[in-house]
Amino acid sequence: MRRYAFEGIHVLDFTWFAVGPVTTKYLADNGADVIRIESRARLDGLRMAPPWRDGKPGVDNSQFFASYNTSKKGLTLDMSKPEARAIFLKLLPWADVVTESFTPKTLRNWGLDYERMSAIKPDLIMLSTCMQGQTGPHRDYPGFGNLLAALSGFYYSGYSPDELCPPYGAYTDFIAPRFAACALMAALDYRRRAGQGQYIDMAQYEAALHFLAPALVDYFATGRVMEPQANDSARYAPHGAYRCADEDGHERWIALAVENDQEWTATLKVLGAASADMRLATFSGRIADRGSVDELVGGLTRTRHAEELTVALQTAGVSAYPVQNCMDLHRDENLEAFGFWHWLDHPHMGPSPYEGLEHRLSRTPGELRSPAPTVGQHNDEILTGMLGMTPAEIEQLKVDKVVF
Amino acid sequence: MAAELLKGFRMLDLADDKGALCGKIFADLGADVIKIEPPGGCPTRLIPPFLEDRPGPDRSLYAIAYHAGKRSITLNLESAEGRDMLGALVRKADFLVESFAPGYLEGLGLGYAELDRLNPRLIYTSITPFGDTGPGRDYKAADIVTWAAGGMMFQMGDPGRPPLQMAQPQAGLHAGAEAAVASLIAHYPREIEGRGQHAVVNMQACIVWTLMNEQAMPLLHGDYLRRSGVFTGAIGGRRKTVFKCKDGYVSGLIAGGAYLPSTKALIGWMKEEGAAPDWLVKEGGLKDLTAAGFMSADAEALDELARAEAALEDFLSTKTKREIWQNILKRRILAAPVSTVADIAVDPQLKSREFFTEVEAPALQRKITLPGAFAKLSKTPIGPAGPPPGVGEHNQAVYGELLGLTPARLAELHAAGVI
Repeated sequence: MRRYAFEGIHVLDFTWFAVGPVTTKYLADNGADVIRIESRARLDGLRMAPPWRDGKPGVDNSQFFASYNTSKKGLTLDMSKPEARAIFLKLLPWADVVTESFTPKTLRNWGLDYERMSAIKPDLIMLSTCMQGQTGPHRDYPGFGNLLAALSGFYYSGYSPDELCPPYGAYTDFIAPRFAACALMAALDYRRRAGQGQYIDMAQYEAALHFLAPALVDYFATGRVMEPQANDSARYAPHGAYRCADEDGHERWIALAVENDQEWTATLKVLGAASADMRLATFSGRIADRGSVDELVGGLTRTRHAEELTVALQTAGVSAYPVQNCMDLHRDENLEAFGFWHWLDHPHMGPSPYEGLEHRLSRTPGELRSPAPTVGQHNDEILTGMLGMTPAEIEQLKVDKVVF
Repeated sequence: MAAELLKGFRMLDLADDKGALCGKIFADLGADVIKIEPPGGCPTRLIPPFLEDRPGPDRSLYAIAYHAGKRSITLNLESAEGRDMLGALVRKADFLVESFAPGYLEGLGLGYAELDRLNPRLIYTSITPFGDTGPGRDYKAADIVTWAAGGMMFQMGDPGRPPLQMAQPQAGLHAGAEAAVASLIAHYPREIEGRGQHAVVNMQACIVWTLMNEQAMPLLHGDYLRRSGVFTGAIGGRRKTVFKCKDGYVSGLIAGGAYLPSTKALIGWMKEEGAAPDWLVKEGGLKDLTAAGFMSADAEALDELARAEAALEDFLSTKTKREIWQNILKRRILAAPVSTVADIAVDPQLKSREFFTEVEAPALQRKITLPGAFAKLSKTPIGPAGPPPGVGEHNQAVYGELLGLTPARLAELHAAGVI
C-alpha cells in the first residue's frame, strides 16, 4: 500500500508567485517528487515579500514563499544560458509533469515549448498557467492576482455602487490552483490509463470566472449587471456583520444569517429583544426593511461578547461566527481540532506555523512533508544524484553562473 | 458531448450550496454526475436570485450555473427503500460527494464505513463547515458566516464601517472546488490499488487559504492586518488601488519594487499627454520609490505619493476603461480595468478563446450562456457538458440503466414517495 497518493510522480516545476506553486504543492504534499527550478538571476517575487522572520527581508526569510513551496526540492538554473537548458533537458526524461507560470513567450524563447519537450518525453504532461491564457490578444499581459480580481469582476463588492471594495490580496490566486490541480490530476490518471500525455493551457482569468457564474448567466440572459450589495442577501435577513463589545481595545464583530421566521424568533430570544417589531416578524417584512433589521440587531449585539454570542446563537440553531482577524485564526478551536496549523522547522527561518491542508484523506493523507527549499538547497543532491556530476563539474557550473 | 478525461467514471452528487461546484467540475471533466435530490427538489433550487426574477425550481441562477451538465434523480433517503436504492447506486459509482450536517448520513446508515462495505472502491467526500471533530462540527454555516470564520471578511471594507462580504457567495465554491481536488487526489491511488477512501473537506480552512500572506503576520510581525478599503498597506505605507475613470474604475498602484517599471510607465504616459505636474516628473522621480522598496512609510514621501495619486486620478478621469486598458497592454503597466460582468461578456480576449459556451436548456425553453472550459487540454478537451437538469429529469434513464427498474416499478416508487 502506498503511503501517499502521488508517490513516484516526478515534477519539474518552473512556476513562481502563487498560482503555480500552490498547484504543485498539492502534488508535493501528496508524495510527488517536485523539483522547483529557479534562479538568482530572476528570483521568485515571493522570496522578496513579507512576512519575514523577525521582520528582516531576505531571500530565504520569507514565509510568503515558504507557505506555497512545502515538500519541494530546490534547484537553481539560469535558464537564459544554453548550458542550463542542456541540464534541464537531461533531467526531462525523469519527469512526468512540467509546470510553468511565466508569460507565454518565456519558454518559447528558451526553445522549450511542449512540442520540443514531448519529442524527448512523449507522454509528458505540461501545465502552463498565466493570467489570460496562451492564446488571444491579451496573452502577454503580466499581472498579479489583485489586478486579475479587478478584471474578472470581484471588485463589485462594496457598500454602494459608488463605494466599491476589492477583496483582500491577490484573490484569484486562490481560485485558480483548485482548477489547475483538478485538470492536472485528471490528466495524470488519463495518462496512466491511455498512455498519453498532453498540454494544459490554464488561464487564471477563465478559472476565476467560474466563481461568478450565476452573475454571468444572468447578464447573458437578461442584461442585468451585478452591483455591489453591501452585506445584503435575498436569501437571509438579517445577514451581515454586527458590532459586538470591544475586547482589550480591539473591535469585535459577529457575522450572522437568519433564513426563516423560526430562526428570527430564536435570534431575538438570544439577543434579549424586549419587544419584537411585528413588521419584521415575517421574512418579506425583514427583506423589505433591512435597515430597521440591521439597526435592531446591531443595537443588541453591541454589548455582547462575540464568541459567547456565537455559541448561544448556534445552540439556538442560528448561523453565526465571530468575524475573525488573523490572530483569532491561530487560536480558533475548530481549526485546531481539524489539525489545520502545521509547524515546520525551516532551515533558515526556524519553526513557525503554516497553513495545513484544507481536507483530510482517510487512507493516504497528504501532509507538509518538509519546509520549502532555500535558494539552491538541493543543487548538489540533484546534480550528483540524478545526473552523476562530480563536485568539480558542479563547482564550475556555479562559477559560470549556470547553476545560479 | 462529455469530455474524454473522466469518461466512464460516475459521481453521486448529494451536495448543496456548500459543494455543488464539485460535481460541476467533474461533469466538465467528463464524468457522469448524478445529482440526487429529495423528492420535490434540492434546496439549492430555492436560492435567489432567479432568472428574470421569476422563482421556480429550474430558475435559480445558482442552480443553473452549478448543476449544468449533471443528471438529476429524486430519492428519499429518509425511507428504508430509498436508502437501499442509494446503496445499489453506490455499487455502480466511483465517487460520492455530500455536504449534509456531519453525522447525518451516518445516522441513516449511509456513512463512509457502511458504503465502503458495499463498494470498497468508492471515494466518499464530505464537505463540512468547520470540520467533523471540533466543537463547531454541528454549527450552521451560511456562506457569509464561513467567510467571517475564515478571516477574509475582517479584511474587506473600510475602517470604521462593517466588514463586507464578497460580490457573490464564495465560501461554498472554494469548498466545492477543494472537494473536487480531494476526490481526484484519492482517485489516483484508487485506480492503482483498487481502494477508495474518505475525504473530509473543511470549508473554514478553505477560506483561510485565500488570505495570501496574512496568516503569518501576527507571529512574524507581531500584529494582525486591518481592513483598509481601496487602500493597500500591508507594511507601513498606505496606497490607493482603485481610481475613478470616465466610465467606471481602474485598479493600479503607484509603488516601487516590482511595480517600479510600471509606475514609471504610468507617469511617462501622463507626461506624454501633458497631464503630469512638474514636481511629479522632476529629476529622480518620486521620493523613496526604489526597485528595492515596494512601499514607503516616510511621512513626507507618503504625502507626495498621495498628491501623485490625486494627479493620476485627474488624468484617468478623462479616459475610458477601454482606452486605459489599451495603454496598460501597450505600455506594460501593472493595472487593470475594474470590469463589470457586462465588460467581461464582450472581452475580446475571452472571445478569441471562445470561452463562453451556449447550451440549449429545455427546462427553461431557452439557451443559456455558461463560463466555458476552465482549462484547455490538448488531447481531451473539457467544458460544460450540458444544461442544468429538471428535478428528477433522469429518473427513468438512471434507474432503468443502473438498477434495471421498469417504468411500472418507478411509478410505484413515486406513489410511495421514495422517488
